[in-house]
Amino acid sequence: MDARSKGEVSLVDGAIDHAALLASVAAPDAGATVLFLGTTRRHTGDVVTERLEYEAHQPMAVRELARLRNEAVSRFSLAGCGIVHRLGVVGVGETSVAVATAAAHRREAFAAAEWVMEEIKRSVPIWKCDESAVGDRRWVHPEAVFDGGAAP
Amino acid sequence: MVVVNLFAGMAESAGTRRLDLEWTGGSVADLRRRIGDRIPAIAELLARSAVAVGTSYAADTDHVPGDADVAIIPPVSGG
Repeated sequence: MDARSKGEVSLVDGAIDHAALLASVAAPDAGATVLFLGTTRRHTGDVVTERLEYEAHQPMAVRELARLRNEAVSRFSLAGCGIVHRLGVVGVGETSVAVATAAAHRREAFAAAEWVMEEIKRSVPIWKCDESAVGDRRWVHPEAVFDGGAAP
Repeated sequence: MVVVNLFAGMAESAGTRRLDLEWTGGSVADLRRRIGDRIPAIAELLARSAVAVGTSYAADTDHVPGDADVAIIPPVSGG
């Protein structure tokens, strides 16, 4: 990782302060900054979600997020990269994850934000429980065999 | 003794978040068999979960020391 690059990595229990996250990646050499927010969606096909509840293996998730951040910085030559994931209950329309990337030019900033999100969904030990309006609870564990994301 | 931490749907199916197993050391694959024998209800999900020793993902051939802290990581769904 470039020691000059900046950005917060954390798990939080309450609302995500995305302004603080943006501030954490601000850098004099950044000509482009992208902020991605993942939010709880009401409808997924026929399923109606009332709220999501997130759980993590916290020390491992923080370590994996920091590894992703550092890899994104070197892979996309970022000036800054920050990742905040919320745990606990996240209501419809609320933000569960925020990724901020800052680069010299927009192409790298956009590409890095998308890459970080793909990797979070692939390898970081965080899980969501989907709770419906009628009170059904379902932990989401995708069908494929999970091998740790074949992390290097 | 090895401490096995369970999460999310696996903890729910097992009815516990922590298993203590008598363990003098062995492979990750051996430990998987022990856990599946102890709690058959999680065997299917366990088969497609990763195993972490400490905070690092481990391969089935890796060694698990007798006093290890282990986590079963079922397929993830963050984001």
